[in-house]
Amino acid sequence: MKTFSPPPIRPGIHPRAGLGNRIDHGMRNSVPCLVVFFVTLVLSAPLNLPGQVELMPAIIMAMVFLWSVFAPALMPSVAVFVLGIWADILSFGPAGVMLLMMLIVHGVALSGRYTLARVNFFVLWLVFAMVMVGVTALQWVLCSALALHVVEFLPFVFETVLSVGSFPVLYAGFAWTYRFVINNADHS
Amino acid sequence: MPVSIQFRQALGKLVLPALILVAFGVILLGKADRTLVEKLRMQTADLLAPAYRMVEWPQEKLRWLSGNLQDIRNLEAENIRLRAENTSLRHWYDVAAALADENATLKANLHWIPDNAPTFVSGRVVRDTSGLYARAVLLAINPDTSVHKGGIALDGAGLVGRVTEVGRRSARVLLITDSSSRLPVTLEASHAAAIMAGDNSPMPRIIFYPQDNLPVEGERVVTNGEIESLPAGLPVGHVHYLRPGMPVVVPAAALDHIDIVRIFDYEDSVAPPDAPGRVPLPPVGRTMVLPSQFQINQDKGLHG
Repeated sequence: MKTFSPPPIRPGIHPRAGLGNRIDHGMRNSVPCLVVFFVTLVLSAPLNLPGQVELMPAIIMAMVFLWSVFAPALMPSVAVFVLGIWADILSFGPAGVMLLMMLIVHGVALSGRYTLARVNFFVLWLVFAMVMVGVTALQWVLCSALALHVVEFLPFVFETVLSVGSFPVLYAGFAWTYRFVINNADHS
Repeated sequence: MPVSIQFRQALGKLVLPALILVAFGVILLGKADRTLVEKLRMQTADLLAPAYRMVEWPQEKLRWLSGNLQDIRNLEAENIRLRAENTSLRHWYDVAAALADENATLKANLHWIPDNAPTFVSGRVVRDTSGLYARAVLLAINPDTSVHKGGIALDGAGLVGRVTEVGRRSARVLLITDSSSRLPVTLEASHAAAIMAGDNSPMPRIIFYPQDNLPVEGERVVTNGEIESLPAGLPVGHVHYLRPGMPVVVPAAALDHIDIVRIFDYEDSVAPPDAPGRVPLPPVGRTMVLPSQFQINQDKGLHG
């Protein structure tokens, strides 16, 4: 019985799938997770940036959202879980809240990816903004519930606005990475 | 174990809900066992501490550089300020010179008895013999210079100590910070007399100050002329409160690195004259003769 194999994306001569080739693939495929990992690490360092505390979830959420929509194979649920634990260890909020937010964003992106991957950028931006509003509201509710009093909601508003505002820049970075780092390898 | 494609797909769909459930578990765990989470976070922070320091270092350098640049930018303003201050100081110099002249004239008119100009020798400190229990320095002196025990040692700024032992080629100066040093001082602003007592620390304490006239922070401390060989008005330092109720003197002299000191000889500057009204002591071997009105009448007795 003849096995079915999809036609190559770029026809031509392909290098043999040796060890170096596999390492190259592995490196390229782990870029999304590594980016989130290092963004978390760097933004937890004492850089004294204005709004650094709110910048970390903003960047992480946008990254998780974009990669889950366009290349869920490179941002699997288990990786999101591990990255969420990592972000929770490095940030000093209530434990597990960041993790839950990342998983929810990942889940929403994953479930709507067949429509989201085809829509206009502005529609994607709008969807992301709505997701962020919902997730940040959930974060506020959880923080208040775990602290047993109503915490101030202005920082959460700032976090939402920052993440929505920084989305285009992160989208440009994502598009560049997707085009030149991930997709540049020969998928044979 | 080979599993069917349907089963694998179902499993794949279950992963995310399961993980979300675990996340809720993590939240509950963090609420229930706060110390575990804190320990984990602190251990991670400890691991990352060197990296954090590496991040901090260039920031510090940058801040230092920008501070320097700011200083350079402010150089002009600083120069202008200093020039203005210099003019003001020159004015005060003129005033002081005029006042000194006037003082000299007035003293001349009043037949003022001038203070004896004290003789002094300068010597180099050759060794700091301070230990755990004493604060003293050793001076090199010439065999034919006249340094006596009790000489007062001063450096350029203030009182250093007193000469306690004189050898042929060296003299030992007990510093004012030594624990056996007790000097009467005057506090200049509050005009209170006190004793400056060394305690082997860099700042001697002020003791026996009047309780209704407390030393004021920052006021000047000078010697007072209570004891012979130590004239009034030598600068010692200024008052500082280490904590409320514990005034100390910050010495004006650089006692931690003394280089050259001057030894002043005030020994015979003010010798008290014989008091004319004082009852002279009887010569040895004779009873004292009282004046006639105090003589007890032997016949009547004391009350008769």
